Order: sequence, then C-alpha cells, then structure tokens
Amino acid sequence: METFSLVAQGFAVALTPLNIALLLLGCFGGTLIGALPGLGPVNGVAILIPLTFAFGFDATSSMILLSAVYFGCMYGGRISSILLNIPGDEPAVMTTLDGYPMAKQGRAADALAISGVASFFGATVAVIGLTLFAPLLAGLAIYFGPADYFALYILAFVTIGGIAGVDPRKTLLSALIGLMIATVGIDPISGMPRFTLGNYHIYDGVDAIVALVGLFAISEILMLLEKAAKDRARPIGLDSWLPDLREIWKTRWAVLRGSIVGFVAGVLPGAGASLGSVMSYSIEKQASDTEGTFGKGDPRGVAAPEAGNNAASGGALIPMLSLGVPGSGTTAVMLAMLISLNVQPGPLLFERQPDLVWGLVASLYLGNVALLILNLPMIGLFSRLMMVPTWSLMPIVAAVSFVGVFSISNSTFDLELMIMFGVLGYLLRKLDISLVPLVLGLLLGGDMERNLRRAMSISDGDWGVLIASPISVTLYVLTLLFLGLSVWLALRDRKRAQSRVMEG
Amino acid sequence: MTVRLSGAAIFVIAALYTWYGRGYSAPFGDVLGPSVFPMIVGILAMILSASLVVFPSGQVAWPDRSHMLRQIAALAVLLGYTFLLLPLGFPIATFGLIACLGIVLGGAPLKAVALGAVLSPGLWVLFDQVLGLPLPLMGHWLER
Repeated sequence: METFSLVAQGFAVALTPLNIALLLLGCFGGTLIGALPGLGPVNGVAILIPLTFAFGFDATSSMILLSAVYFGCMYGGRISSILLNIPGDEPAVMTTLDGYPMAKQGRAADALAISGVASFFGATVAVIGLTLFAPLLAGLAIYFGPADYFALYILAFVTIGGIAGVDPRKTLLSALIGLMIATVGIDPISGMPRFTLGNYHIYDGVDAIVALVGLFAISEILMLLEKAAKDRARPIGLDSWLPDLREIWKTRWAVLRGSIVGFVAGVLPGAGASLGSVMSYSIEKQASDTEGTFGKGDPRGVAAPEAGNNAASGGALIPMLSLGVPGSGTTAVMLAMLISLNVQPGPLLFERQPDLVWGLVASLYLGNVALLILNLPMIGLFSRLMMVPTWSLMPIVAAVSFVGVFSISNSTFDLELMIMFGVLGYLLRKLDISLVPLVLGLLLGGDMERNLRRAMSISDGDWGVLIASPISVTLYVLTLLFLGLSVWLALRDRKRAQSRVMEG
Repeated sequence: MTVRLSGAAIFVIAALYTWYGRGYSAPFGDVLGPSVFPMIVGILAMILSASLVVFPSGQVAWPDRSHMLRQIAALAVLLGYTFLLLPLGFPIATFGLIACLGIVLGGAPLKAVALGAVLSPGLWVLFDQVLGLPLPLMGHWLER
C-alpha cells in the first residue's frame, strides 16, 4: 500500500498554512470566476498564472492554487446555469437544460444542492482515479524513448481538438501555428537565433504565459464587444439554501453513472470537461428518462452532467501530470505554468518531485470538501456577486492581466505582444479555429523538436528510428485511426449539411 | 470568402517562415540541425492552409460597423495603456484604462469613471503594497 503512504505524505505538504490559505482562496475565487458569465476556467486560470508566477510561489503551491481555481470553476459554472439560464462556463451548458426549469418551479435550492453534491462526488471519483491510475500511467511512460515522445506529441495534436464538430484541418493548422511560434528565439541545441527578425525582445522566444493571457483574456474582451451591451436577466431569487435531502438521495445512481462516464471522458485526450458533461447527460437520459421528464426540471438531469464535468476535469489532470500531455484547454494552460517554473511533467515528475504530485492530490481531496462546504451556505453571496455587470468586470480583467504580464519582465514590449496575441486569438476564434491546439503546440514545440533531434542523433540520421519501437508504432496507428475518424465525421457532417440545403 | 482569405494569409506566413527557416545550419552538434523541424512544420502548414483556400469550411459572421468600431476603440485603449504605463505611472494609466474600457463596453460614463477612480489606487495598493509586485507609482513624465 505504497499509495497510501504517498498520499499521507501529500497531506503533510497540503496542510501547511500557506497551502491551506491558497487552497481556500482558489476555491472561493474559482467558484466566483466560474459563476460569472463570460469568465470560464481557461480565462480564469490564464489570468492568474502570471500573478502566481510573479509572487514566486514554488511549483507545488502554484499548482494547488490553480487546481483549486480549476475545480472551483466547475462548481461555480452551475450557479449561473441554474439561476440565470446562462452557463457560467462551457461545461455548464448541459446543466441549464434541467437546472433552470427546476429553479423556475421554485426548486432552485434543491437544484443548487443536488448539483453541489453531484459536483463533489464527481470530483472525488476523479481524484481517487487520479490517485490510483496516474502512477500506473507514469510507470508505463518510463519506457518511452525520444522517438516515442515525438509520436506521443503528434497524437496529442491530432486528438486535442476533439472528435466531432470541427474541421480537423483547422485543429492541425492551429497546432502548427503554435509550433511555428515555439521555434522563434534561440535554438537551445545549436545556439542559433531563429525567426527573431533582429528583435532582441524575442531572442528568448515568445513567453508562453504572455501568449496565453493575450489569447484567452484579451480575445474574450473583443468577443464580448461583438454583442450588444444590454442588461442581463435578473436571476431567480432564493428563499433558502436548505435543500430537501430526499431529493438528493434520489439522484444517487445518476451521480454515480455521471461520475464514471465523465472520468473516462476526461482521461481520454482531447475530450475534457465539456464532452464529459454532454456524454453524462445523454447517457443518463437514455438510462432513466422513462417518463419524458428530462428537460423539464428532472433532478437527475442536473446531477448527471454536474458529476460528469467535475469528474472529467479531474480526469484531465491524469495525462497532464503523468505524460506531460494535457487532455483539455485548462490543463494545457496549467502545463504552461509548470513549464515556466522549470517543472517538466511526465513520468519523472513522480520520481523526482513526489511532493508536488501527492501534495496536489491531497489538496484536491481537501479542496473538494472545502468547495462543498463553501458552496452550500454561501450560494446567496455568489448569486449576488454574479450580477456584476460586464462593463465593470472586463476592465478589471484587463487591468489584472496587464499587472500580471508586466510583473514577469517589467517590459511594456510583453504587454504589446499580449495584445497582438489577443487579436490573433480573436481572429482564429472567428474562423472557428480552436486555440487549445495552438497553446499545446507553443508549449510542447520545444520538447517535440528536442526529442526528434535526439532520436535522429541516436540513429545517426536514419529516419527509420521514428518507427523502430512498438510504442511509437502503436501511437502512430492510433493517430491515423483518430485522423481517419475525424475526417470521416467532418465529411459526413458536410454531406448532411449540403443535403439539408438541397432539400430546403 | 473570409476563410479563403485567411487561409491565403496563413499560407503566405507559412511560406515566409519556411523560406527563412531553410538556411539555418549548425556547423557541429546534432545530426538534424536547427532547420529541419521548422521546414517540416512550415511545409505542413502551407499544405493545410492551401487546402483551406481551395476547400474552405465554415462561415464567419463579422460584427457590424458599430460593434467593430467599439472593438477598435477597445484595442486603442489597450495599446494606449502599454505606451502610457511608464510615462504616467500605474495608478493614473490604470484609471484611464478602466474608465475608457468601461465606457467602450457600454457602461454609463460617470459610473465607469467612478469605478476607475476607486479601483486604480485600490489595485496599486493591493499589488504593489500588499502583494509586493513592483509597479511604477509616478511615471517619468510626472517625476520631473
């Protein structure tokens, strides 16, 4: 039972006063960020990264803070879904389907409590899964050589965009743009400056954190400006926060199913929390919607997607920590922080920095309990803070982003770079090109190139080394299968859309 | 049309990137050298962006003129902030940032100015004094 002693050791790390304070702060801040429409987990974590960096916390404390924010967002997203019918973040979309009808029927307190408890169970299942499976995966990854890592990164780029709905070419193009940006700066192996165009500011390369804050926070401001500025609907009032416990008990199977489905979706690359909640909801609907009550305020329709998205967001941490390949947008952003702190996630992380891994796991257990306790009685406070109007929220987001980025290097060049990335992010989002593969390319590009060159040095220039090991061949086969599937789906969607046009 | 144009723009950038990247070579060290990886990336990007020009997918709905003007105004405010942060110092520049962005985002002008007046010294105290991130208090225009 080595795992138990490791987790116990982790609790010793997590229970230092600084880490407890950061955990509680992160839980509260995360819930608020999640509840505010327009600010999701990716933007929230992206804005906070330069700040944690500037404060000089160690990697463990920073990870605890950011993971608490990440988990808090998943809890917070449901509040505006249920009370406003506006999802606070993307994964909370499914919660509006049954949550808002429940609130309209005067069962807002029940819906909030059910979703809170479901979130707790989903996240706890995910953390237990993380405790058990992450070391296993990291153990396997020890056998990976440079060529295998190169293949793994290719698989990551192909899968990160998800399966359905997007043109796979756009996902790949996004990853390639990220890789192009990653090669800017001095080549670490030969010491030669590449693509700097003589600008000494970027000799060190483009700082991933500056790019991230621009891509996510600044582009969000530009997206918001597209819509007419109008007042949001008033939220449904709350009489009490005390729920009916029997209602919660009735959703137990929905919670269990949702947690497991969500967890599996989270571990798979490229799925993430949004797909986790969609899959949990549709599976729950098929399993238990015998009377056609789903969509009209069925408590199980609130419980399943909430359990699902929390389980998925925890599950997404597994590939990020054990392979260094994130499974979702937010974990990709967290990877940026680890790399900036010179922590290379992957199998060696478990060997070299067990304090970080297990301290993080322990604080996720604690954070879940804290979030459950925080969320039930303080729901009234959150629902009032949620009403902060956009015109006053986004300037604060901009100011905090500027402070964070400025404090990294004290140069205004980075601020200009951040704004340029904001415009780039906005244009790509308009073109339906996901930003997550770009971030992944930017983050993994350096390591990917290093592994390719190392593999080629070992083989003395023979390209055959790339397919010489069974691991890399398996990864390439998976990549091809996934590519084939997504191309087929994209073509099918296109044909369907065309035939609809023809009929119409 | 937008997708085709953007594909063409990305193609041009990728082509320039590949053109620049082709010449890098290291006299000693590793086998592959600093040029091969950028070449692979650049050529793949050229192929994919060219395919977007030939077979575009998806439609882009651009905002109308008044919203686009707001976006340009917001960008001008953000860029202005990067130029004025050091000359004016953090509290005054941030006051301008919050007030102007608030107005661009559709807030009532008086309220936005009030928000900036309250928040900019507040943020300076929070970040500089309490959390210890050094921020310029008085810019070099004001110190003389």
